[in-house]
Amino acid sequence: VRFTTVNWQAELYIMSGTVLLKDEVTTLEHSTLKVPYEILNKKFRASQKALDRDLSHVTTATQELLSCAGKGEASAAEAASSLEGVVQKLLSLKRKAKECVDDELECARLCRVRIDHLKSYVSGEQTTGMKKAWRNERVNRMLVDHFLREGFYTSAVKLAHSSGVEDLVDIDIFLACQKVEEALRNHNTTPCLNWCYDNRSKLRRMKSMLEFEVRLQDFIELVRANKRIEAIKYARKHFTSSSDHPVKDIKSAMGLLAFSPTTTCKRYKRLFSESRWESLIAKFRRENFNLFQLSPQSVLSVTLQAGISALKTPQCYKPEEFNLQCPVCSKPFNELAHKLPFAHCSQSYLICAISGCPMNEHNPPMALPNGYVYGEQALKEMAAKNEGIVVCPRTKESFSFNEVKKVYVM
Amino acid sequence: MEACVTVEKECDKVLKKLASFSDLATSKLQTVVDEMTALKEEISAAPPGATISPVQAQSLRDLAKTVKEVAQGTSADHKDVHVVISKFGRAIDKNFQANINDLCVEGLLTTDENSRKLQKVLCEHLLREGKQEVSFCLMEEAGVSVDSDYMAQFSEMNRILEALRNRNLEPAIEWVEVHREELSSSGSTLEFKLHQLKLVSLLCSGRMSEAMAYARNMGRFTPTHTTEVKRLMGCFLFCRRGLECSPYSDLLDPGHWTDVADTFAKDACNLLGLSLESPLGVSLSTGCIALPQLLHLRSVMLQRQVSDIWNQDELACEVNLGWDRRYHSVFTCPILRQQTTDSNPPVRLRCGHSISKDAMKKLVTHSRRSLRRSLVCVMLAIKHSFTRTDFKHG
Repeated sequence: VRFTTVNWQAELYIMSGTVLLKDEVTTLEHSTLKVPYEILNKKFRASQKALDRDLSHVTTATQELLSCAGKGEASAAEAASSLEGVVQKLLSLKRKAKECVDDELECARLCRVRIDHLKSYVSGEQTTGMKKAWRNERVNRMLVDHFLREGFYTSAVKLAHSSGVEDLVDIDIFLACQKVEEALRNHNTTPCLNWCYDNRSKLRRMKSMLEFEVRLQDFIELVRANKRIEAIKYARKHFTSSSDHPVKDIKSAMGLLAFSPTTTCKRYKRLFSESRWESLIAKFRRENFNLFQLSPQSVLSVTLQAGISALKTPQCYKPEEFNLQCPVCSKPFNELAHKLPFAHCSQSYLICAISGCPMNEHNPPMALPNGYVYGEQALKEMAAKNEGIVVCPRTKESFSFNEVKKVYVM
Repeated sequence: MEACVTVEKECDKVLKKLASFSDLATSKLQTVVDEMTALKEEISAAPPGATISPVQAQSLRDLAKTVKEVAQGTSADHKDVHVVISKFGRAIDKNFQANINDLCVEGLLTTDENSRKLQKVLCEHLLREGKQEVSFCLMEEAGVSVDSDYMAQFSEMNRILEALRNRNLEPAIEWVEVHREELSSSGSTLEFKLHQLKLVSLLCSGRMSEAMAYARNMGRFTPTHTTEVKRLMGCFLFCRRGLECSPYSDLLDPGHWTDVADTFAKDACNLLGLSLESPLGVSLSTGCIALPQLLHLRSVMLQRQVSDIWNQDELACEVNLGWDRRYHSVFTCPILRQQTTDSNPPVRLRCGHSISKDAMKKLVTHSRRSLRRSLVCVMLAIKHSFTRTDFKHG
């Protein structure tokens, strides 16, 4: 169903007042700020746990002190040593508190650096040159982010370094991922399980199945190596009957014990397949994105698609209309743009084929008798050099300038 | 702007709260530690084997109570910090658009074929921007390759541009001599501009005889750039006094250097069949302009519960790009507000107004026998007196 575009344009004007109109920064930069925020949050939770641990030590030591004081005839030495005990625990708490807060401050300062960077663009204090430089930096940031998501870690690091945007991109998170992924590629699940443990509270809140999938793979590998008794022990330890773990999958896995790795039975052959490792890597990547509230497609992808669509015209697909400067006319974008919608234009934009200049009130469009339209300036110039004769560049027909008629385009 | 300011305020609150917590906790804990150490000193001062006095025992109990309070207070204060932290997080979510994922076709760029194309585009972009090392690294990691010709052309172009930035005209002049024929057939003024700059710089540095010898080169530009050559010859008169006080002082404008660099880039790209700006750069900057407008559209549409914008064959709203990003002529019928196509071409009525053929047909059917009027002026237009007009670029 093709709705008439006129209505939507009118709607937009009406709704502008009520809907918050967003600009480039607020549309594109959510993850730039959210990721360091999530890191801050994570550090905070870890700090709180550490402080509470130290607090319990202090409480224990204090109890000892109280019991010592409560005794009838406590010796001075005992009292002194109890006191010392409490002092030590207190000092440890003090140290821990300082360390934790320093870490948290660092995270918060990183947030601030990025906010400043974004603010500088919209504050209106930048010159045109500075704005251009900011936009170039944005392209580089998008590229680094895209490379990191796709797993091209070395290129990402190199580019971030050469364009000086290290503070503005989240390399560290992804480098941690790189280690996990490489290990998974070598069929080593330990780093991944460590990562799951590290982030267990958030993963649990997200109802993530990643840890189960990894343990399932471990189980499969044990069966593959014919260590079935160990496999059963492993299953007993890690596969619970709670609603966390899908019972169907556990049942299939148990069934695996009866088959050999070279089985041709389809269902179990799938479980033994090596490609499960690749899909584990993909699952891990997705969970990592979810952890930091990153969307599955990079900002580069989304922006690129919007941009190509806004530039796409039917003329881009006509070979005789090829324009070297138009991105959509270029081969790779031409192919990528096939499935994207065309740009919508509610007014005419005409370009003179001779001069490449716009045809507007300063350079009104003029129609030759053969129907082709060119700008008045170019035609006048041609007539001046050619004794009042104009030649149509497309058909090479000649006409007198007097035969050329003005066209009114609204 | 308000978005950034709001978020900045919240972030500052977090920084402040963390700093104050740190100071307070440290000082409180230190005070208690000092008290305890003092008491410990006092107790240890007693002879060995002695017992503590009831006063000391009471102090121990009091101190124990204080310790508990302070320690628990520290933990509770830290928990308090979370209030400002989560407020900060909420401010980010409220002021920045969290999910722009559905503003595009899902899975378009993730298919194997398309992602390889995209990676190739990224490599080419990096080469253009002079980041060769990164590009090679990407080619290795992604397993794509770029035309070696393409690479060679760009590295040469970048080399010459670098030289021009350092005010060295020699590489550019050499290049121009090699490509003279093609340049002149496309009407390029690059060679003249280069020689003009060279002459002016020779004159400025006072090398009169060299300049005279060089001026012989300008002979062949006389037919095409008569006025400019005359002005250059006039410059010789002011060589000793300095060109600044001559009527030709505009030739000293540093803007000429940037102009020459731009002209070179434009002509070189034209010759090599490359676009002047990186297609990726243009598309991304267009996308950055388009996305907020599409987002606005989406929020309007959601309120009206209509299906997504990306499955139609045309975007539902206009993205305001101005003239910079227009590469093709577009004619929109003023009556039907639709772009014209091959089957619905623009037609010019006798009065000079141009509308689409469909619109014209509609006008015809609505007033079959009566005089057909043009939309904005009253006039006779007979059916076969329109001419199909073509607003083609090419």
